[in-house]
Amino acid sequence: MLNRKRFIRQAALSAGAIMAGPSLLKAAEYFSPLKLTILHTNDTHSRLEPFPMDGGRNQGLGGIAGRSGLINKIRSEEEHVLLFDAGDIFQGTPYFNIYKGEPEIKAMTNMGYDACTIGNHDFDAGMENLATQLTRHAKFPMLVANYDFTNTPMENKTQPYKVFRKGKLKIGVFGVGIEGKGLIPDSLFGATKYLDPVKKANEVADRLKKYEDCDMVICLSHLGNKYKESNLISDEVLAKESENIDLIIGGHTHTFLDNPIEYKNKKGDDVIVNQVGFAGIILGRLDFEFSKFSGKKLAKSHTISVSQKTGG
Amino acid sequence: MKKNPPFLLIAFVFISVAFSCNTVYQSQTLQYKTYRINSAEQQDSSLLNFLQPYSVNVNKTMNDVVGVASVSMDKKQPEGALGNFMVDAFITMAAEQYNTKVDVAVMNFGGIRLTQLASGNVTTGKIFELMPFDNVLILQKVKGSALQEFLNIAAEKGGWPVAGMTMQIKDKKAVNIMIGGKPLDPNTVYTLANSDFLANGGDNADMLRTIPQISNGYLMRDAILDYIKKLKSQGKNISANIENRVTNAQ
Repeated sequence: MLNRKRFIRQAALSAGAIMAGPSLLKAAEYFSPLKLTILHTNDTHSRLEPFPMDGGRNQGLGGIAGRSGLINKIRSEEEHVLLFDAGDIFQGTPYFNIYKGEPEIKAMTNMGYDACTIGNHDFDAGMENLATQLTRHAKFPMLVANYDFTNTPMENKTQPYKVFRKGKLKIGVFGVGIEGKGLIPDSLFGATKYLDPVKKANEVADRLKKYEDCDMVICLSHLGNKYKESNLISDEVLAKESENIDLIIGGHTHTFLDNPIEYKNKKGDDVIVNQVGFAGIILGRLDFEFSKFSGKKLAKSHTISVSQKTGG
Repeated sequence: MKKNPPFLLIAFVFISVAFSCNTVYQSQTLQYKTYRINSAEQQDSSLLNFLQPYSVNVNKTMNDVVGVASVSMDKKQPEGALGNFMVDAFITMAAEQYNTKVDVAVMNFGGIRLTQLASGNVTTGKIFELMPFDNVLILQKVKGSALQEFLNIAAEKGGWPVAGMTMQIKDKKAVNIMIGGKPLDPNTVYTLANSDFLANGGDNADMLRTIPQISNGYLMRDAILDYIKKLKSQGKNISANIENRVTNAQ
């Protein structure tokens, strides 16, 4: 039942491939692995221009023009690309103080971001402002599954998840936000209800895998990478407590990771966690290759082999 | 097509068997790469053009002269003129913003991000350098006993800027604390103008964590800019002196 649509799609395609003239070639293409390139940023913090040349550690790094140039280059080389941001788009340079996020959101639309999640600093100029900036300037969704914005200016301005189709792949993407208490002033967080991110993430991921029939589930998280305090929920906690998440693209802690972290989830499957610092200094790239399996031949637990990409 | 319906049938049967239900795609390999974005990167001219009108205006605003410093002020411990200027801004503007009497203002030494504010014209950009963080100026109602503990941290860390009070540092503890000219009373509740950073337990100020914060989201940087405007409207320049607010006990 679950895979009926997919089966018909595949059957039709295979029949077509076999019937067609250069059938062997097409068939070979059909059986070759599918590729998906994920590009990501987090905590860009209104850093539209590169850091000023003032002798500082990050001087000359970042900036939307360089980021966009790089994204365009990768898009010209790869067929299936998704571009995400893990929140805290706002605050950090005078651009935000003056324009309240308009150029940040416009630039992301311009660069073709596919989705983002919400960070604590995205509340900084008020929920009404965020709602306005998104409505006017965003051509991509803001995803968050664990904030209930009922009776706030942000009501209906976000969605819990979105399913992307890239060739034959179905990719489910959702977002989770950090607890506002002690971090976001009450005057800014308003009537927003913060819901348990682990519980909501598992609910949404389950839906994406089983009912939306996704081949991969990605969580855009602004929870933070990991904490010493055991009571704080992080990407590490979420990864270990999850069941159907394949990849967590994180933010908030401004963590520069040399390589993605691999965790085992509750079922013993691999979960990948990545985060790329802050201020748009780094663009993260994750190239996945997918193979096709019959359900019967699937290994009991899903493992993935991770390595550093050379060249490109 | 028309010629070979049997073939189509055979193909269909073959496919049905080969792809018997429950086929899925699963990620098998991941190759990662991090790109440091620098000026060597191909710049997207459309984004440069897009940003240009915004940046012209931002840079113009940052170069605005907001006031004139009549003296050069340094960041120093146990007490410096630059820190005094900042907490003077906080105690004054917190009283105005929250429309209440404020007894004490304290900031952490690490929150001062310039080593010196030179005499002469002061631009908006300079104030952004002095206070780049978007910390919020908040109020806390703090019992004298908790304030003593908090000030012990200021003492232990070599002395922090304070306004509305004086203190001495002895054996890394705050002693002879005078608030509004009177000795600190452990049972009196004082109104403290503070940063949300410290109030949330930053710099080990754990004793403040549980004390409720009165906040309207007013940025500390805006408090400094507004204070400079206020001084200007009174015909005053930017200045502060070392006046023995915090000293080392002999």
